[in-house]
This record gives sequence, structure tokens and C-alpha cells, in this order.
Amino acid sequence: MSLAEAVEPLRDAVVWLFEVSAVPVLGYFVLINTSYLVLIGLAALDFRSYLRGRKTVVDTLGGELTPGVSVIVPAHNEEAGIVTSVKALLSLRYPGHEVVVVDDGSTDSTFERLRDAFDLVELPREVSQDVPVRARVLGLHVPRDGRTRLIVVQKENSGRSEASNVGVNAATEPLVAMIDADSILEPDALLRVAKPFADDPTRVVATGGAIRPVNGCRVVAGRIVSVGLPQRWMPRIQVVEYLRAFLLGRTGWSRFKGLILISGAFGLYRRDTYVEAGGLDPDSIGEDFELVLRMHRILRDADVDYRVEFVPEPVSWTEVPSTFRVLRNQRRRWHRGLWETLWQYRGMLFRPRYGRIGMVALPYYWAFELMAPLLELYGIVIVPVALLLDVINIPFALLFLAFAYGYALLVTLAAMALEEWAFHRHERWRDLGIALVAAVLENVGYRQLTVWWRLEGWWASLRGKKQVWGVMTRTGFNEGGSEQGAPPGHPRVSERGASAGDVTVPERAKGGAA
Amino acid sequence: MISWSSILAATLGVLLVCVALAGVVAAIRIRRHSREARRSRLMAPFRPHLVAVSAGEDPGGDSRRVLADVAGPARRALAESVSGMLGKVRGLPAEQLVEVLASHGALGRAVEDLGHRSPVRRAQAAQLLGLSRDPAAVDPLVGALGDHAAEVRASAAYALGLIGDPRAAGPLLHAVGAPGGGLPAGLAADALLSMGVGISDSLVHGLVDPDPRTRTVTAHLCGAGSFTRALPLLRDLVALDPDLTVRETCATALGRIGRAEDAEVLTRHTQVEHPQPLRRVCAAALGELGDPSAVPTLAALTHDPDPRLAELAASTLVRLGPQGRAALAAGGALRPVRSAMTMARLQGVLP
Amino acid sequence: MLVADDDADIRELVEFKLSQAGYAVQAVPDGLAAWEAFESEPPAIAVLDVMMPGLSGFDVLRKIRESEHPRVPVLMLSAKSRDSDVDTGFAIGADDYVIKPFSPRELLHRVNTMLARTR
Repeated sequence: MSLAEAVEPLRDAVVWLFEVSAVPVLGYFVLINTSYLVLIGLAALDFRSYLRGRKTVVDTLGGELTPGVSVIVPAHNEEAGIVTSVKALLSLRYPGHEVVVVDDGSTDSTFERLRDAFDLVELPREVSQDVPVRARVLGLHVPRDGRTRLIVVQKENSGRSEASNVGVNAATEPLVAMIDADSILEPDALLRVAKPFADDPTRVVATGGAIRPVNGCRVVAGRIVSVGLPQRWMPRIQVVEYLRAFLLGRTGWSRFKGLILISGAFGLYRRDTYVEAGGLDPDSIGEDFELVLRMHRILRDADVDYRVEFVPEPVSWTEVPSTFRVLRNQRRRWHRGLWETLWQYRGMLFRPRYGRIGMVALPYYWAFELMAPLLELYGIVIVPVALLLDVINIPFALLFLAFAYGYALLVTLAAMALEEWAFHRHERWRDLGIALVAAVLENVGYRQLTVWWRLEGWWASLRGKKQVWGVMTRTGFNEGGSEQGAPPGHPRVSERGASAGDVTVPERAKGGAA
Repeated sequence: MISWSSILAATLGVLLVCVALAGVVAAIRIRRHSREARRSRLMAPFRPHLVAVSAGEDPGGDSRRVLADVAGPARRALAESVSGMLGKVRGLPAEQLVEVLASHGALGRAVEDLGHRSPVRRAQAAQLLGLSRDPAAVDPLVGALGDHAAEVRASAAYALGLIGDPRAAGPLLHAVGAPGGGLPAGLAADALLSMGVGISDSLVHGLVDPDPRTRTVTAHLCGAGSFTRALPLLRDLVALDPDLTVRETCATALGRIGRAEDAEVLTRHTQVEHPQPLRRVCAAALGELGDPSAVPTLAALTHDPDPRLAELAASTLVRLGPQGRAALAAGGALRPVRSAMTMARLQGVLP
Repeated sequence: MLVADDDADIRELVEFKLSQAGYAVQAVPDGLAAWEAFESEPPAIAVLDVMMPGLSGFDVLRKIRESEHPRVPVLMLSAKSRDSDVDTGFAIGADDYVIKPFSPRELLHRVNTMLARTR
């Protein structure tokens, strides 16, 4: 039998496949991108009233009814930057905040540096078990001056989630903010994310703040003094990604009252709600995504009138992976967390009692966030196969790709336009140009890679493989005249805990060609 | 299968929009820059005069005259700049700036503008009326509290706070919990605090408002402004309000302004059948209250299995004078007591 | 003397007021510029707004107090009359505080007083 004859049935199969799947798959991805445009539209409305409010009411942040905040900082082997971080956190502008550092069994000199810098003394205080924690708490220290509002708790190593829970247990204020040890907060960050609580003290239970990548920004003494873009293209693409996913994905959902995701890098919760929900689940990869879903379920089951809000203006800056290895682990973990959490809460799907969360947001996440890489993979595979088998010709295939990714690019550009109008954080024209190029480049290889990685994560979960926490090589910030922190170019290895919900980058499927 | 021509058209369309959007992004930036440039250009001749008046360095009134004579498109830019300044200075310069605005007829227009089509203009009008501290603006501003744009309501509330007329207190409190958005509670609280003691009646009504947000704001204000008339109601709400936040706020207020007879309700709510956050708030409030009748209950609480509550009780005892400290001495070996004493020593409260 | 505020209105206002009173004033728009100006030529007095993006007024104050010229008098400008802001300021080592909205005359008065004290 000749090759052509052997291939014939395969070709027929592929032709049939195309006829059956082309329109639905194409329709799927048109739907996804259109939904993003809708979310962008919602976000635009939100921005408009947010900005107007800023113009007409003289700044009233931090006024009466601003509740106290405990900033929880889980830390593991953070000796290089912990003191700078804590100093910067202590000097955040806020009427009544404390910093609770939880040393999660660090094997380096994290604790010793804190002890020396803040003159810590031990307090015989027992940390409550409001949120039950498995690991043992080893001790609690406060600064000797009795005035600096810092608490340092040491515990046995058991992961970031338990460390956060211990921090909340030790917290004394009615609101708790979950912060990564190496995130950089703007001086007014707490004021802004706490404002929804001050505006609506009886209903708001959780807020989230927008995160931006800090790579390429100039950091002095733990503060961002100038915003810039990273040097390399991979982090540059992530800047654009974060913009689209966070600012618009979150804000749009928040306005729709269907916000289920609050990033692990900056979330603020009512302490009593956090405790009642049971705190972060140490066994869940979904971390705070899982916690927020749990809160939604518990509150709706109890018929409580509550709100979850998102503060659109960037408040927290965090380092994003600049190598493929780390990025891959991150995306695998995120998608795995997404899958496991969605599956865990599948009982909420399509139940009217769960309102927009159960009827709209969750189905959306299933259909568009979870499934998208699968459909996109289908497209990525079938188009070359079809080309090979001469089902379609090259111009057609190219045209199809151009449409598919073009629409995706359109969404990103709409996001960038909105950002330029509302916050315009990147002032240089050169940066704008780079961002535009990055938006294009995202569709040429980067997205396809993340598709594969996300599927890898999903598959690993289905196979029951144990999750290995990725290690991130931190390259340090471009600190002009910094006192502490690794000098640039000197790699530092640390455990990284970006949450599963951080950037569930909206993906669009690529359809099969006709 | 999909036809060639339709996909060609679709792709070209999409790519065209992309290019257009890229252009839009650039255009937005250019527009912003040019707007700022235009405003600076318009204001350029008058800026030094504005600064002079705002700094109080215009004894002869020359700069004020120049500003009053401004006409045409620059007037609008000037009005905005003056509004901006008015939020930042007070005293004689502020009064003089208001005179400049009045000479343009801006204040009269502002009342009209409260009914303008654009919510931005309405909000700016409200802000201007507030900054001008014009008592005649109270009624229109109270009306604006019911505007359907949130930023207008907020501006109106802020303005009412600046003017400080307690007549607006009732409507303001009610607007906090009004259906259809309401008012930011913190903003309302700030505004109400600046209205002085005349709001006392409105507070009593606010405590029985059907919306928990209004009740929370009211309870907070009672404590912040020492409105003791509300004490009986506050006591009731700690015990009976359906909303936990309201109860906690009332308890805190009781701690701030309460008298000896208010200790009883606070001590009652430190008992185990009540929600834990409320217990802790009440224990802390007892410390604020400072009444020694709470000592026996607090001493018992130092044995409570909740370590935070126990330590709060112990810290409170430290602050309750010799009786409190005597009770502490009895439980000296307990961990929460030792912790509270250590903290007190670090803070210099104890030697 | 040095004036730092990201709000152009206030910056120009204070600069004008102080220069009318006969002082040489350098005005900068943010904390980093303030710090750099301080390092290159320590002023007789620094007037710092608390709320600035990047390095805040408190950050600059802290750096000043840890620098080679720690005794330079510093006046803080704050939008909030909150005890905590004032406490924080004094705890780090501010010499005086002015709350916005402020009276320019009073600001000048305080600056004069602070200067007189250092003589």
C-alpha cells in the first residue's frame, strides 16, 4: 500500500473533524474574547466613577471608621530582604496597623536579622488557635520599645498557608492583610484596599488589590521610586498579561459582583470571616482562591448580605519569573490549583442560591479559564496536521491564525487603552511602544507555551502526582543605593508562593481551520 | 467549513481594529498631555496671581482684581484651579479665593449645576458649594444626597461636612443606608463629626434606622463625639442588634463614653455564650471605660481558654488601678497574665 | 530651604510664601528628589509632605535622621489630622506638623520659629 493510500483514512478523518469542529471551536474562542471585552467594558465603567470620585472629593482616605489592619507576612528563608521589607511595611501610611511576621521554620538567619534590627524580646504570649493549625508555634517576640507594632512568631516549617493562619491567629486588629514577604507595597496601599471596608463596614468581607510586576522598576528603601519595564521580553510580556488579567479581569468581575479571585500577593480580609471560614487550607494548591470560594459558599449558605471588592489601582508590586523554568512551574501550579479548586466546589455550579458566583462566575471559569488550554491545544495540533494532509492550504491557515490571535491582541489593546486612560503608570513613550510590541509577541509563542504548561499541571493533578513547590531564583531589584537585598545579578534561591489564583490569564482557544 | 472570503474579511476587520486601538492608546496619552498643556497655557498668566492670593500675599488686592477680571475659556480652568486650592488652604486666603469665585458668579451657577446633565459637573458643583462654606447651599446639597450617581452623593456629603450645618445630619445618616448604593460610611462619619453637637437628635434616630450601615455610623459617632444621650440605646443594641458589626461598634462606643452603669452590659457580653469577636471587643472596651466594677469578671476571664481574650482581660486589669492589679497578682502564674504584664512593662505602664 | 510635595499647588504656594519672606527655597516634586537634594546640599530647614508616591515624607525624614546631618529641622505637612500620622512623625523625629488645609501664614510662622530655635 502506498503512503497516500495509507494516509487516506486519516485524511478523511481529519476532514470530517474539521467540518464538525471548526465552527464550534471558532465560536468558542470568539465567545471568550468577547466576554473579555464585556469585562473590559464593565471595568471601564468602574474606572470612570472611581476616577471621578478622586477628582471631586478631596482625599478622605483613612478617615473615621477606618478599621485597624494586621499585615501578615509569612516568611521562609528571607534573610536578605526581610528587614527592609518589614521596615517598609511598618512605615506604611495607615491609622492603626501592625505587622505580624511569621517565620516558617527558616533555616537561615531570617529571625536573627529581625531580632537584631528591631531589638526583639520574647513574650510569653500564647497564640490562639482561632484557626486550627497543625504545626507547633515556637515563640512570639515583640520589640523591646513596646511601641513599634511588630510581632514576630516562630513556628515549625509547614508551608505558607499555615504560616498565614498562624499570623491571623496572632493578629490583634479586625482586618488582616496577606502579603508576600518580598512584595513591595505603595505607601498608601493599605489605605486604598481598606477603603471599601470603611465605606461599607457591615457588608464588605474581603478586598483585593491590583498587582504589577516589579521587574524593571527602581526600588529604593523598599519603595518604588520609578516605574519601568524589564529588560527581557518574557517578563515584559508578563507585564502586559498582568495588566489585562488583574486590572480588567478582576475589576470587571468585581463590578459584576461576581469576584471570586483575590490574589495571594495582596488580599485584605475581615479577621472574623477568615476565622469562621477556617483559614487557608494547607493541603490545597488553590490557596487563597480556594479560601475565597469557601467564603462565598459559607456566606451564601448562611444568607448573609456581603461584598467582595477589588481595588483597581495598583497597590502591590511583585517579582515575576524571568526564566522559563520558573514560569513553567508557576503556570503548572496555577492551573492545577484552578482545576482542583473548581472541582472541589463543583457543588456550587448552577445553583441559584449561590447567585452570580454559582450561576455565572463559576461556570465561566470552568468553560473559559479551565478548558481554554485544551481547546487551544486542539487548534495548535490540528492546523499543522491539516496542512500536512493538504486539507487546508497555507494562506488559509495563516489567515485563520491571524484572525484568532488578532482578536486576542485586540482584547489586550483594549486593556492597554483603558490602563492608559485610567492610571497611566508607564509614562515613557518608549515603554508604551515596548508594551505594544510585547502584546503582539505574547501571541507568538508565549501563549502557546503557557497552554502546554497549564495542561501539564492539570494532567499532573489528574494523575495524582504530588505537587512540588517551585523554586524561584530571585535576581534582586535594581536598587539604587540600597542598604540590603541581593546585589543585582547575584541569584538567590527562595521558596515562592504566588497563589493559584494570581493570574489565571484569560486564554482564548484557537479554532481549527476550515 | 468556513468560507475564505468571510474569514478574510473578519481577519482584516480585526487587524484594522487592532491598529486603531494602538492608535487610540497613543491618542489618549497625547490628549492627556495636550489637555494639561492647554490648561497650563490658559492659566499661565494667572497662576502667579493665584499663588499670591492663596499664600496670603495679596495685601493690596491687585492679584484678586486680576483674577476677578478673568473671562472666557480661562475662567473655567481658573475655577477648577481655585477649587483645588480651596481644599488645601484655610483662613484669610480661603475667604479671598471664595470671593474671587463669587465675583465670577460661580457660586450661583453651582447651585444650578447641581441639576446638570453630567454627573461630573454635578459633583464639581457640590464640591464648590462645600468649599465656599455657603450656608444657603445646605438644602440643595441635601437634595443631592439622593442623586443616582455615587460620586455626586459623595461630593454632596463631603460638602455638607465642610459647611457643618447640623440640619443635614438626619438626611446624611439616612443616605448612608439608603437603598440603591448609599453613601460611603467613613465619608459620612467624617462629615457628621464636623457638624458639632447639634446632630444629637439625628443620632438617636440613626440608631434605630433599619439599615445596619447607618446604625454603625451612628454608633461610631456617638463614641467619637461623646453623645451620651444615646447611651441607653447603645446598651440595647449591644445586646440585641442582629448585625455583629453594629454590636461591636456600640460596645466600643460604650467603652469610650460610657459611665459606671454601662460596665454591666459590657461584662455580660464577655461571657462564653456570645460570639468571640464581640467578647474580645467588650473586654477591650471595659479597659477604656475604666470602671472597677468589672474587675471580678475580668479576673475570671484571665482563666478563659481563649488566650487573646484572657490577655485582653489582663491588660485591662493593669489599667484599672490598684484593684485591678491586686486581682492580677492573684493570677500571676497564668501565661496571659505574664504576657500582659510583660507588655505593660515594655510600654512603660508598669515599672 | 527645601520643600517637597507632589502636589504642584502646595509646592508653589509654600515656595512663594517662603521666598517672599526672604528665604532661598528649592522645591522638589517627590521624595527621591528631596533626598537627593538634601544629600547634595543640606538645607537649613526641610518642609516635607507626608503623602508622596515612592519615598514618602516619613521615608525621607527617616533617612535625614540617619544621615550625616541629622539635626536639620523638619516640618511635616499632612492631609490627615490623625493622631497616628502625627505620632509617627514625631516618633521618627519630626520637629513640627502642619495639617492640610493649612494657613500659609501659620506655616511661615512655624518655619521662623524653628529657624530661630536652631540659632
